[in-house]
Amino acid sequence: MTSLASPLLQQPVFSEPSTVSSLQVQGLTKRFQGTTAPVFRNVCFNIYKGQSVALIGANGAGKSTLLRCCVRLIEPDEGNILLSGETLSSKRGRELKRARNRVGFVFQKHCLVPRLSALTNVLHGNLAHRSGPRNWSQCWARQADRDRALHYLDLVGLADLWHKRCDQLSGGQAQRVAIARALMQEPSILFADEPTASLDPKSGQVIMELFARLSRAQNLTLFFVSHHVDHALHYADRIIGLRDSELQLDAASGTENTVSLRGFYA
Amino acid sequence: MPEAQLSNDGKAPFPPRFQRPGWLSTALFALFLGFFLWSLAGAGMSIRELVNGLPNIATIAGEMFPPSTDRAGPIMAAILVTFQMALVGTVIGVILSIPMALLAGRNTSPHPLVRHVARSIISFLRTVPDLAWALFFVVSVGLGPFAGTLTIIVDTIGFCGRFFAEAMEEVDPGPSEALDSIGTSPLDRIAVVQIPGALPSMINTSLFSLEKAVRSSVVLGLVGAGGIGAELAASMEMFRYDQAAYIILMIFILVYAVEHLSSRLRERLMHQSQ
Ligand SMILES: Nc1ncnc2c1ncn2[C@@H]1O[C@H](COP(=O)(O)OP(=O)(O)OP(=O)(O)O)[C@@H](O)[C@H]1O
Ligand SMILES: [Mg+2]
Repeated sequence: MTSLASPLLQQPVFSEPSTVSSLQVQGLTKRFQGTTAPVFRNVCFNIYKGQSVALIGANGAGKSTLLRCCVRLIEPDEGNILLSGETLSSKRGRELKRARNRVGFVFQKHCLVPRLSALTNVLHGNLAHRSGPRNWSQCWARQADRDRALHYLDLVGLADLWHKRCDQLSGGQAQRVAIARALMQEPSILFADEPTASLDPKSGQVIMELFARLSRAQNLTLFFVSHHVDHALHYADRIIGLRDSELQLDAASGTENTVSLRGFYA
Repeated sequence: MPEAQLSNDGKAPFPPRFQRPGWLSTALFALFLGFFLWSLAGAGMSIRELVNGLPNIATIAGEMFPPSTDRAGPIMAAILVTFQMALVGTVIGVILSIPMALLAGRNTSPHPLVRHVARSIISFLRTVPDLAWALFFVVSVGLGPFAGTLTIIVDTIGFCGRFFAEAMEEVDPGPSEALDSIGTSPLDRIAVVQIPGALPSMINTSLFSLEKAVRSSVVLGLVGAGGIGAELAASMEMFRYDQAAYIILMIFILVYAVEHLSSRLRERLMHQSQ
């Protein structure tokens, strides 16, 4: 697939420290109905544009819930969220959708449409910006969009499986299709919930490299959950950690090491 | 006795095989039994009348053989019309069911109020029996197959509307959430997640619906709504039991053929979706 231009990756690399906020979370608290203890309380952090931040914590610490609350897939009980400086909490309907258009999301479970092909699923990333039947299936999509979708499939190493139905892909392959779908959307901030959990070490590294490269080339903000200590240390500029319902860690990844993070993986 | 020893070793008492029924369930059962005995009388069950009727049954059965083919041409034409009514009614009904189901589904309806109204309409179409619809349409559009086709359309919406809505509600919510998270419009989400997800079940339901329509279009003719039923009623009234036997045989072949074809088709589709 070398014939496909990859405009994203040919742009000059720049990574000056940004001071523009991409995601601000202020005093976020979430308690599920019927439970007494909150999943997390009073969580505050601020992610700058182009920054790459890893969220760590034990199973059930509330990482997936926190990520979902950031785009209000789950309504938080208290607190405020700002996406690119815009308050998300008061938005509803069409406005909320428009705010979400710029947010890519890779879920812990890949969440593809099982009966449709890999290429069609990647194409669905387009639905964030363009509505209508031409983005429903690769069969009648615009050629430019098909090219782009195939290009992203190629980036995650699955160009030859474009025609495969997603329920016939392996777990790791499906996860990579989901990543391609998120990239297709060309988001300005990407949330990724354990994007490499079901990938073999090599593919996991390739994907993290890809994220890091996009983050630099496109100034993409990356907020990812990872159980790989070395991924967090190596690919994130910053690490935040949830423990005992609170944000107990917020540090530059350079100042941490495998030992200092041990408490968050217990 | 090693078994007894085993149960004695455990701290917990051995559970009894049967639980003694409570007084409420005993009372309810007695009530049911009483009502059922009363209903036997209400339903006109009578051994004596059955015994008295046996010779009649035998005479009619005897006159049915051999089945007569002297009106084979018109009967075949009526069978064809019956099938055509069922087919057209089902196809149009299925097409109309899709928007109804979308309005009635929990995860596809634009508003809970709309959903409630759509569900009520679908239940109403389903609960009114097809013969009642047929009588209604015969009065409004006149005798003939059009009234029957309308009946089947209405019946199909009542049946498919409900099951399509349920199929769409059962689609895995994961992909839906994924598309919601990027701000996709509801129509796009329905087109790319709900419809493809529910498709195998919808095809299955449509095939069942066709079988049902063929069976019901057979009797619709009895009230003048077109098809083979009218022929059957006519030959029974003219005491041409041999002709009636031929009609019944043809009906059997039609229903059997449709059911057989539809189950073959269903099998193939199920295999495809794996
Ligand atoms: N819909 C829900 N209703 C009630 N409780 C929930 C719900 N979703 C999650 N929880 C609870 O909230 C807590 C946090 O769950 P969450 O999925 O956010 O954990 P996590 O940090 O992502 O864990 P993992 O590392 O296993 O993915 C868990 O105790 C879970 O049982
Ligand atoms: Mg999780």
